[in-house]
Amino acid sequence: MRRYMITSLLALALSAGTSQAASTWTGGDDLPTNPLACDGTPAAAAPVTYDGGSPTKAPDRNGKQIKVVDVPKLVGIGYFNSTSKGVMEAAKDLGNVSAKTDGSTKANIDDQITLIDNYITSGVDGILFSANDPVAIAPVLKKALAAGINVVGYDADAQADARQWFVNPATPNGVAKSLIDTLAKEIGPDGSFAIVTSTFTTPNQARWISEMSAYQAKCYPKMTWLETVEAQEDNILSFNQANTLINKYGSDMKGIIGMTSVATPAAADAVTQAGQCGKISVVGLATPNPMKPYIKAGCVKSAVLWSTTDLGYAAMEALRASADGTLKPGDKTFKAGRLGELQIINGSQILLGSPAVFTKDNVDKYDF
Amino acid sequence: MSLHNISWRNLLRHETILAIVAVILLILLAFQSSQFFTGANLLNQGRLMTEVGLVAIIMTFVIITGGIDLSVGSILGLTAILTGVFWQNLGLPLVLAACLAIAVGTFCGFVNGFVITRFGVPPLIATLATLALYRGLAEGISQARSVRGYPEWFYVLGQGSMLGVPTQLWILIALAILASILLAATRIGRSIYAIGANEVAAFFSGLPVNRTKIAVYTASGFAAALAGVIFVSRVSTTRSDMGTGLELDAITAVVLGGTSIYGGRGSVIGTLIGLVVIQSLKNGLSLAGVKAEGTAVLIGLMLIGAILMTTVLNKRRA
Amino acid sequence: MAAIQQSAVLTGKSRPPRPLLSRLVSDYGQEFVIIAAMLVLFVAVGLYNPRFLSTSNLNTIFSGNAYIAVAAIGMAMVIITGHIDVSIGALIGVLATISGTLAVSGYPVWVAWSAPVILGMAVNFIVGWLVAYARIPSIVVTLGMMSILRGGLISITGGTWISGLPKEFMIAQWKPFGLPFPIIAMVVLTVLAAWWMRNFPFGRSLYAVGGNPEAARATGLSAERRVLAVFVIHGAFAGIATILFATQLQVIQSTVPPNLELTVITAAVIGGVSILGGSGTVIGSTLAAILFATIGSALIFVNVSAYWLRAVIGGLILITVLADMIRRRPAR
Repeated sequence: MRRYMITSLLALALSAGTSQAASTWTGGDDLPTNPLACDGTPAAAAPVTYDGGSPTKAPDRNGKQIKVVDVPKLVGIGYFNSTSKGVMEAAKDLGNVSAKTDGSTKANIDDQITLIDNYITSGVDGILFSANDPVAIAPVLKKALAAGINVVGYDADAQADARQWFVNPATPNGVAKSLIDTLAKEIGPDGSFAIVTSTFTTPNQARWISEMSAYQAKCYPKMTWLETVEAQEDNILSFNQANTLINKYGSDMKGIIGMTSVATPAAADAVTQAGQCGKISVVGLATPNPMKPYIKAGCVKSAVLWSTTDLGYAAMEALRASADGTLKPGDKTFKAGRLGELQIINGSQILLGSPAVFTKDNVDKYDF
Repeated sequence: MSLHNISWRNLLRHETILAIVAVILLILLAFQSSQFFTGANLLNQGRLMTEVGLVAIIMTFVIITGGIDLSVGSILGLTAILTGVFWQNLGLPLVLAACLAIAVGTFCGFVNGFVITRFGVPPLIATLATLALYRGLAEGISQARSVRGYPEWFYVLGQGSMLGVPTQLWILIALAILASILLAATRIGRSIYAIGANEVAAFFSGLPVNRTKIAVYTASGFAAALAGVIFVSRVSTTRSDMGTGLELDAITAVVLGGTSIYGGRGSVIGTLIGLVVIQSLKNGLSLAGVKAEGTAVLIGLMLIGAILMTTVLNKRRA
Repeated sequence: MAAIQQSAVLTGKSRPPRPLLSRLVSDYGQEFVIIAAMLVLFVAVGLYNPRFLSTSNLNTIFSGNAYIAVAAIGMAMVIITGHIDVSIGALIGVLATISGTLAVSGYPVWVAWSAPVILGMAVNFIVGWLVAYARIPSIVVTLGMMSILRGGLISITGGTWISGLPKEFMIAQWKPFGLPFPIIAMVVLTVLAAWWMRNFPFGRSLYAVGGNPEAARATGLSAERRVLAVFVIHGAFAGIATILFATQLQVIQSTVPPNLELTVITAAVIGGVSILGGSGTVIGSTLAAILFATIGSALIFVNVSAYWLRAVIGGLILITVLADMIRRRPAR
């Protein structure tokens, strides 16, 4: 028993010693960042030539009925339920598309690659995707392009030459600015905060965290980032992690940022149950429905997200248009059905628009 | 000797049933979708199932000895990460980096065997612990970063073909042949069966029980490590979450193939047929329009159904 | 240890009573080790950051993870009989979705609470029957069941979340006598289960079934009925764990909580329940579940680099397992 105690103490001491003083925030990736201007002047978008891939010898699909499959990162969470709804809505509006959503129950690249591979074999005309990993998914998407299939991504991109178009919900530096600005408004320019994310290996979250770090260093240098915790895509775990943060820092932490639509409501619930509404701000990305109770109770002032339904809708429209040939490499704008004209940036990215901010005044208008 | 004969007859019984099921399945699936039974598709499925296949073949050995190895998925992930780290961060030439990573993975398997034999920890618990440890090491060493941008020739392993057959499939076939011969016709193969059937008796018969078990777990680590390198080549990047859930896929294939979870019975052929059945189901159902969640339900039902059928038939015989 | 318990059950002979302390230490050795480890952690981390010992943090550790401990009670019983269940995570996910759906559809709260328990027992009745009577190894049955439940959950719900749970449903947030309900449930259930397994013939016979099935059968115990009963009881505990799990937050995901089965099995196993069957107590598994939660929280409090968190936990599990085996090694 003595041996056990000594070894466990040793283990704990050793592990405390491995903690690093991070210069970049934990959870960010190591790609170059490009923070926006603090005062909101839009970044000058340098025109970039088209850098997407193209299908080889695609058959003429103009006006014809096509079969499309939508392969999100995983199924079973509200975020991708609503993108799927958007895809189906566009398919109905277009009239000549039969679409279905098929995804693994885990956010796993191997499962996703296998799924896409099977659909290539089964002879679909179009593939929509949200990638679990931008590089890992590239080989199978290139295989799809080589088979003459139209490929359009949304939400989480792949390498540019592995798909024709990517519907970008918002630029990463735009998301970062939105979140940090909202946070600063609530906790002040010298407040301290922590982050709850999904996993450190999820590309989107890692990108946003890096951009947030750069933007905060540029525009709110006196703010303190405390730490980032992982909570997978599990709301109970997110709840427990948020609680641990609240317990650990007490009044030293003024805000929590939730990086996924799973983490933000869970963090809000943690703050509510700990009786810290109003003392700890919760800011983050979230679909409006789970946030309604907290926003209405005044515990959360606002949640940020783009319309995920619109995201799926735009992706489906883009796929149809590229199958028909009305959306071509080199286009600068794209008319996406009921969404109107969308900007095309960075060569092959279709920008959905700016993130929507859900507050007490408008949250009831949304249902997703 | 007579024990050996009986176990062969039993095995043959389950494998033949399974083989018949497999053939029926393939025919049904071929009718459901015209793309299923094409050469290109079948070869492609072979490519996709190599990682699980390598691990499952050696898992057969492990389970026959009465043990189990839950850490294979984590060893795969760790090897994948180390390949990237050795190549990019330490600047080693890629071939050396990959070999070194495989060596580390093999060592992880050795540690499993060591803990199980020298400390007497039951295999389920030991590999449950190392599953967490190795996965954690993968995440810590990689700092959640991916390594990408490998030279083109490296992708031939995972994405290319040799003589029209996917490269990694040759490796799988080679390992399958080697493993079958080892298990069926060598002394170490017979030791493995004996240990699984009755470890105490095997020990008192003078068989090198501990050494054989360590060898088996080390081989399991090696198979997982090799699968890790192949996986990296197939998807052209490394991630610390690669291989999660691999152990359950491998165990499903092994058990479906007729290997008894209590040890003492099993064959590589059975595992291979099990692999083929599962992969064809996943592929064929998807081609027929069944979604991923429906396929999961069907595979679960099939696993229980197949073993139920075998158990009932064996009870009837006995 | 197993032999002592078995011989008492099977032969009925009584041995000369040993001193209480020596009996406690040998029977509950693993439990003492776990309690000692927890005390060490509390003291060490508490000195580093006193907020670790605050009521709200203790609440987070004990109350937030009580559902794991409750699930581990059932799992411990299953493992003591020499079997295993890897479908517990998928089962809790499914039961939580059913429970939540009933709650938001206007059914009375007691229906929403009892449904997971009854359904958990029903599902595990099937599993237990296949294991006990059809003699299919439990790992096979539960592997298959896990796949069926996971796929079935998405097929039926389409993956939608359940939100807008009625306030009366949220039993995990109640505080009877000032203590959070999950803690009360966890402690009461653990004590009841441990007492039952020690003092009731049926409970004691589970050790015999696990430790030496042939001998048990020779004395007339119907192993099959016991195994079936154990799985059904395990299903009931899964249902209760689901209630604690599903009523913590206002949203229920219709996904399977990742890695829950591994956590529950590890808790039962580290708690001293021998995977060889035949020994261990449910007190150990509950303590181990809490110990894991404590370690997880402690590592965040002492600022272990987040990237190394999982490695440290894995290392600690391995150390615990090795230490346990060293402790059990018979004197040579």
